Amino acid sequence: MTIRRYFVAALLAGIALPAFAQQDAALDAMTAEELLPRARQEGTVTVYAFTSRIARVETAFEEAYPGIDMIAYDMSSTEQITRIKAEASAGIANVDVVYISDAPVVYTELLGPGLVLPYVPPRVVPLLDDSEKFPLLAQRLSTKVLMYNEEAHPNGSPVTNLWQLTTPDWTGRVIMVDPLQRGDYLDLMTEFVLQADAMAAAHEAQFGEPVTLDEGIANAGEQFIVDLFANDLILVSSTDDVNAAIGVVGQDNPPIGFTSYSDRRDNEDEGWALQVANTVEPSNGIIFPAVLAVAANAPHPAAARLAIDFLMGDDSDTGGPGFAPFYVAGDYATRSDVVSHPDAVPLDEFIAWPIDPAATAQIRQEVGDLVLSLQ
Amino acid sequence: MTTTTLARGLRLDGVTVLKLSVLALVGVLIAAPLLRIVLDTLAPDAIIAWSEVTTGRLSRNLLWLPLINTLILGVVVACGCVLIGGFLAWLVVMTDVPWRRTIGLMATLPFMIPSFATALAWGSLFRNSRVGGQSGFLEGLGLAIPDWLSWGMVPTLIVLIAHYYSLAFTVIAAALATVNSDLVEAAEIAGAKRSRILFGIVLPVALPAVVAGASLTFAGAVSNFAAPALLGLPVRMQTMATRLFGLIEVGQTARGYVIAILLIVISALFLWAGNAVVSGRRSYATITGKGGRAKRFQLGAARGPLFVVAALICLLTTVVPVVILIASSLAPSSSALLSNWTLHYWIGASDPSIAQGQPGIFSNPFILSGTSMTLALGATVAITTTVAGLLVAFVLARYGRGPLAGAINQLSFLPLLVPGIAFGAAYIALFGAPIGPFPALYGTFPLLVLAGTAYLMPFAVQTGRAVIQQVSGDLDESARMTGASFPRRLAAITVPLASRGLAAGALIVFVKIMRDLSLVVLLFTPTTPLLSVLAYRYASEGFGQFANAITVVILVISIVATLLANRLQTKSQPWLKS
Amino acid sequence: MIRLENLGKSFGKFDAVREVSLEVPKGAFLVLVGPSGCGKSTMLRMLAGLETPTSGRIVFGKDTVSDGEKGWTIDPARRNVGLVFQSYALWPHMTVAGNVDWPLKVAGLGKPERRQRTDEVLRLLAIDGLAGRYPNEISGGQQQRVAIARMIAPRPGILLFDEPLSNLDAKLRVEMRTELLRVHRATGATSVYVTHDQVEAMTMASHVAVLNGGRVEQFDPPAGLVADPHTAFVATFVGTPPANLVPVSALPPMLAQDLPADASAMYRPEDLSVSTGAGATSLAFDFAEASPVAGRVMITGTREDRRLTAVVDGAPAFAVGDTAHFVLPPKPAAIFAANGERLS
Repeated sequence: MTIRRYFVAALLAGIALPAFAQQDAALDAMTAEELLPRARQEGTVTVYAFTSRIARVETAFEEAYPGIDMIAYDMSSTEQITRIKAEASAGIANVDVVYISDAPVVYTELLGPGLVLPYVPPRVVPLLDDSEKFPLLAQRLSTKVLMYNEEAHPNGSPVTNLWQLTTPDWTGRVIMVDPLQRGDYLDLMTEFVLQADAMAAAHEAQFGEPVTLDEGIANAGEQFIVDLFANDLILVSSTDDVNAAIGVVGQDNPPIGFTSYSDRRDNEDEGWALQVANTVEPSNGIIFPAVLAVAANAPHPAAARLAIDFLMGDDSDTGGPGFAPFYVAGDYATRSDVVSHPDAVPLDEFIAWPIDPAATAQIRQEVGDLVLSLQ
Repeated sequence: MTTTTLARGLRLDGVTVLKLSVLALVGVLIAAPLLRIVLDTLAPDAIIAWSEVTTGRLSRNLLWLPLINTLILGVVVACGCVLIGGFLAWLVVMTDVPWRRTIGLMATLPFMIPSFATALAWGSLFRNSRVGGQSGFLEGLGLAIPDWLSWGMVPTLIVLIAHYYSLAFTVIAAALATVNSDLVEAAEIAGAKRSRILFGIVLPVALPAVVAGASLTFAGAVSNFAAPALLGLPVRMQTMATRLFGLIEVGQTARGYVIAILLIVISALFLWAGNAVVSGRRSYATITGKGGRAKRFQLGAARGPLFVVAALICLLTTVVPVVILIASSLAPSSSALLSNWTLHYWIGASDPSIAQGQPGIFSNPFILSGTSMTLALGATVAITTTVAGLLVAFVLARYGRGPLAGAINQLSFLPLLVPGIAFGAAYIALFGAPIGPFPALYGTFPLLVLAGTAYLMPFAVQTGRAVIQQVSGDLDESARMTGASFPRRLAAITVPLASRGLAAGALIVFVKIMRDLSLVVLLFTPTTPLLSVLAYRYASEGFGQFANAITVVILVISIVATLLANRLQTKSQPWLKS
Repeated sequence: MIRLENLGKSFGKFDAVREVSLEVPKGAFLVLVGPSGCGKSTMLRMLAGLETPTSGRIVFGKDTVSDGEKGWTIDPARRNVGLVFQSYALWPHMTVAGNVDWPLKVAGLGKPERRQRTDEVLRLLAIDGLAGRYPNEISGGQQQRVAIARMIAPRPGILLFDEPLSNLDAKLRVEMRTELLRVHRATGATSVYVTHDQVEAMTMASHVAVLNGGRVEQFDPPAGLVADPHTAFVATFVGTPPANLVPVSALPPMLAQDLPADASAMYRPEDLSVSTGAGATSLAFDFAEASPVAGRVMITGTREDRRLTAVVDGAPAFAVGDTAHFVLPPKPAAIFAANGERLS
């Protein structure tokens, strides 16, 4: 053991700057067992994560790998992107692992300029679809879908067509996070526009007539966004506020709104009755990957890879301690060997639109400006 | 010949070099960041932001609506503060209302309570269920709270007035104290009625102070970030400060900088206008009489009711918010503020069933490091600002003539006109990337120190001036006659004489940094956690108890430091005892 | 030796001091006297090196220490001068001994040396008992002594005083004048003393420069000023009491003849007499006051905006409101033109 540590130390000390790429490649090919001693040497690993569940990962990680301190920061994807770009232009190497949603922006603004690097632990390569390995490793699929209060509506979703949200029945009672503050929600808005044809069809299905477009509005998707905002849409700054508004039990007439299906997991702890609306025309929202990447100038490259390996879970049916915080109804593991959560709608029956990051990235800013003009 | 040129070179250059280095200091600290954001918005790919913000399709929401909200906030808050602050000042200084001293002391306290604390306290009381999460105490009691009282303009106005009126009080009370009772008595002898005296004598004399109070509170209100962010954003009420924050946070920096520049212009315009009104008149403040007011307005039957009104204002703006904050940091539900108290939010370990496993603030290493970071920042800025302020004030006092000194003077007071959040934006713009051989400061402690130092420069220069006036010119000149160098004179004469005044000033700077949110909210990074930003983030993520607990910590530190400062200021130097 | 050559100082457009030239030998006691705003304090500050002249030169001994043409001046600490401020400028946070000691410390003297010198000057000024007190714990006169002790401790060659006695009461002022002269002699230094009180100037100075409007009106020993005033201003400014100046137009016709019509005639108070009845060479004034002065009587009369003072051996008893007739000598002591210049 000691000899090996000396060996590693000597190896690390001998590495010069130009050897970084080579070193990255070497690290990429290593197993967790091979990474561990180097990671111990590095001592810490810093993670920017878009979910508060990272705190539980931190505990589990430090239990699994004593001696490596995981420093986890819970930051929204939008904030992560801003910070990583700022840190890069400042020449600061702060973060090792980026755990983030907002794939459209991540691909264009972080991966494109080389601020983050792809990494797929060798052991999970056979377990993932290609789309889950490229351009970045997808750890799980997350959602922003229509949720309602199942205590108040025991017979299922009160909304069966998205256009119903623009009717007086729901004036001032649709709630979501400000799309300008959270990229996931902007992706949701963008998806409405990308799915304009489906939205147009749904309009006819709901009202029996084709949608009439306001001046300057290009399609049914944009019109839906306009009408939704016009119907006193309530914007808050965090999903927990949305969840509480929709989900708190004992409400006579609770609002409805877009949030993460997986937040249903907190129903018991928080006293909520969140349920997904999975019988909605044309869809209930979006499903999108949560991706993992190594920061380009990660100060702890081995520990970073070890942490990503840990976050991908173990070979048990539920993914083990590393994946435990994410093995909940409404989150869908990308690993084909992790079985679907028993309480959740199986992935193949789930009606949410999977986003197309490239197409989304293209019109995202325009949709953002549209949303801005409506506020 | 050689010696004369040498002597000439030494002497002339000594002063000029000193001036130039001070100018460079304030230039780098203050002018450069502001210039940088202006230049950034003029870059070819960014200049379109000007038209987008001011005339384009988005301008209504980017600029005009936030601008209208901002102006409403500024004007109403200024009026409210002058009315309430002026009313209390009049009661305390000029009438025979009972408990005058206590009212006078309490009226200065609200400014010590950070505005986000008052906003959080408002939320704990008045939140309704519109935006979900916990509802407030009053709704918990079964009262229906309408939206306009829970969110948006009205609560923001109330919170800001409750916060800033003590500023107006301080300024107006100081002016009223100079109204010699002889003036009033002379008017009484002339046969004027009480109302006539108030409007004909007292108000005109106090007018410059009223205008000063109004423009100061206006500037405070338009640049305040915390209150509109916490109370306005949930109902999509944007001010220029919140809009600026949102734009920077999502990376739309060019648009954000344009908003920042416009916000600076508006704030500066109003302060300048206020100043012009005041300086256009003769200053009456110099007409001072003997201390002690022989005769006070007899309130008669109104004495009791007016006292109750004043006491209510004071209690509602000082004790009540603090009590609510403490209670709501203990109560699991803000709708039942007084039930099921627990210390979990203070010291509890992580429990998945409470607040998504957030540990209590004293068990959260992140918050603990935030506390030490905040204290370190406060202490460092207190020292750097005081030193810089003293230096600038000294140069202005001693070598105040010439264009160089003029530039130093103007620059060092410029931050008064710049809202904190705009200043933060400017600092990110300038120091976010490496400058020549200097590394980027983004996310580092020095950046926070620099920004804090620059932001509080006007205050420090003011303190420095007071201190230098205290140490009269003769005392320094007589030391100069002995041949003592500038640093030596500073160390042996100026600083010892001024130390208490300086320490008090430094403590106030410390408090200002402790409770500041608007300056640091954009400079915050996970590596430089600061308590006020942590509290704001907890609050905006729905973890009200944690936010309130952190705010109580800030409050306690601020109050202790302020009391200490007051003690230092009032306690005279031992060698001045006669 | 101090020499001023065409010394001038302007602040913006305002000329505080213009074209002052004078010279005093080593050991002289030069008094700059004049009404407030005459430029005397500015001159002192230029001598101290606290202000740079805008024209002319200041020479101490063989060294030019300030040169207005070249715009430079030697630093106060390096021109071998000491200054007593009008406010004394004692450092309030240092004891009496500390105030005296600190300049020596700055000068780099060793501790035993400093101690010895401090004791010496404190004894010289008879304040050695106050060494441990703070400035606010001692009287005004004692503070004055501390200020002087502090100035002379480093043994400057030139002592500068800026109205040092103006804050003291009358009795103390007289005492301190003597004290100052004693210190001046004891140190052998050249002193420059600024005051608006001509009595101080006349009693202390070896040389007096009377300043008015930034210019030196006359530079002479005290006796010369009284005996031979060069200008109307000097004539009415120095002397106790100062001489009387009467416009020729107001003189009795008998005296006015042969004199230029727009000139003024100077009469010394001791050359006048007073009577109850009018005479051919008398002027009628309203009696204002009479006071005994060293066995004689000083009588002042006023009429319109003029005052006349006579010092006589004995005088009739006047009451306020009576008319007193001041009898003038046949010849005035001097005659000044309307612009103040002396004609004869």
